[in-house]
Amino acid sequence: MPTLLELQVEFLHAISGAPRASAAEGAVPSEFLLREILAAGLAPAQRLAIYANSAEANYLASLRASFPAILRLGGEEYFRQCGRELRRARPSHSGDLQDIGAAFPPYLATRHADDTYRYFGEVARLEWLYQEALTAADHDSLDLAALAAVPPARYESLRFRLHPSVRLFASEFPAHAIWVANVASDAEPEPLDLRQGADQLLLHRTAAGVEFQQLSAGEWAFLTCLAEEHSHDDSHIDGDSGSFGAALAAATAADSGFDAVAVLRQFVHRNVIVTFTLPTRRPTEAQDAGIAQGGNNERDL
Amino acid sequence: MQTPVTSSAFRGSVPANAGIGLRAQHHADVLAERPAVGWFEAHSENYFADGGAHLDFLERIRAQYPLSLHGVGLSLGSADPLDREHLRRLARLARRVEPALVSEHLSWSSVGGSFANDLLPLPYTEEALHHVTAKIAQVQDLLGRRILIENVSSYLAFSCSRIPEWDFLAAVASESGCGILLDINNLYVSARNHDFDAHHYLEAMPRAAVAELHLAGHTPVVHGGRELLIDTHSAPVCADVWRLYGAALARFGAVPTLIEWDADLPPLATLVAEADKANALREALYADAA
Repeated sequence: MPTLLELQVEFLHAISGAPRASAAEGAVPSEFLLREILAAGLAPAQRLAIYANSAEANYLASLRASFPAILRLGGEEYFRQCGRELRRARPSHSGDLQDIGAAFPPYLATRHADDTYRYFGEVARLEWLYQEALTAADHDSLDLAALAAVPPARYESLRFRLHPSVRLFASEFPAHAIWVANVASDAEPEPLDLRQGADQLLLHRTAAGVEFQQLSAGEWAFLTCLAEEHSHDDSHIDGDSGSFGAALAAATAADSGFDAVAVLRQFVHRNVIVTFTLPTRRPTEAQDAGIAQGGNNERDL
Repeated sequence: MQTPVTSSAFRGSVPANAGIGLRAQHHADVLAERPAVGWFEAHSENYFADGGAHLDFLERIRAQYPLSLHGVGLSLGSADPLDREHLRRLARLARRVEPALVSEHLSWSSVGGSFANDLLPLPYTEEALHHVTAKIAQVQDLLGRRILIENVSSYLAFSCSRIPEWDFLAAVASESGCGILLDINNLYVSARNHDFDAHHYLEAMPRAAVAELHLAGHTPVVHGGRELLIDTHSAPVCADVWRLYGAALARFGAVPTLIEWDADLPPLATLVAEADKANALREALYADAA
């Protein structure tokens, strides 16, 4: 009698559409599995096909729901082909069907790495970030009184945190315009010039839904710096990466006229920046020197 | 920041008044129309997100109606150990919405960490019985509550199966202490597909364990010259299934009943009408149950 594990491994392989690793293992489904299934008026292979078709249909339905723009751009047949290949190459590792979409953008990027459809991977990447933004946790707005209580000498060390739904997306292609044209209406999309400009987008979810904002060079540098991974222990300063001081420096380098206070105020007001921490260790000597020189840092926020 | 949605009146029980499956397409309509159904059942995995509009809708609906969480991805029948990450997400959702009922399937959908996203058939062996029973017991212990286990439709049987499905399900319930969610449509579909007597299956179910009934539609298809019923959940409940439901009510009492419709969704009113039919059958048998 086969064990439960043996039976299930063979069964899953048979319905996943994946080819066998070697010819010696035989065709899918294996003879072993076919012998373990009662025919009773219908060939075991056909019985297995019912499950294979159902599993594939569920997989494709989930991808369709997450990537409507790619579906529109490529068409049903193309989408089904991509979905099948992805399912064979990267079986789902989660009991939540909504997780399978993460592998689709890299798959498309590879598939179209050398052809004129490179933008498909970028549009898919944006669509997946949109899904992440839709389902991210919520967060209370920043405690303005607490921020106002921070002494100006410590501003540069502040570490601001972004709303959990924030996603930053940069692309050489106008992926957002392509997405809007294919998703926002049922009308035949107008042709778009792929060279019309790159994206530097902020995605952020509010009560009204996910909002998209093209960022200026300074805003992009500022937010990407703030979004850098922090160590869990905020009292340990890992250089000054991710600090307000570092973000300010990066933004000013990108745009010498960058108005940090106005930008910070706007992002706090819109709940893009939702909280802050202040490292408990003394600032480094470099930061001390920076504070002594900078005038901007002492603005009342 | 959300405050927990609680309603102590709903926490422990689901009324005899029939419920309907909650689908995202109907979220806004449910809140706007407040249909006169007894409760809602949501697919747990659809609400595993950390936040967002769907979860907000679920919490708002929960403030008005009792809720049941019905999972498809825990893969209790898998030879793998219990999927602790999946269970963590389910437990988190249960803390958030305080469901009156939590259920899963007598099925598997993964092995070796790879998932098939479908409800796959179990061999009905002693090994499978002990394995799934142990996992259910573990889930109930970790969740701190009893769960219900649903029979699935099947399209194949294994030659190594030694226990009839009805005895297997009854044994799972008796050994783990879980409840049974008896899907009358799945029962009918499997009985037709495997030529067994659906009434015999009903008789084999321990009365006290059956805590919920599902009703749904199915679709006949022909494979290799043989007609099979496929559990599509995309059609009205058929006359034969209504009759079998009547027999189930007679045997198990006024058990909470849910109308399931997962694909080709009709307007909300159609689901409410199906729920009304279930209520009419129940009231004909048990005029005093409310």
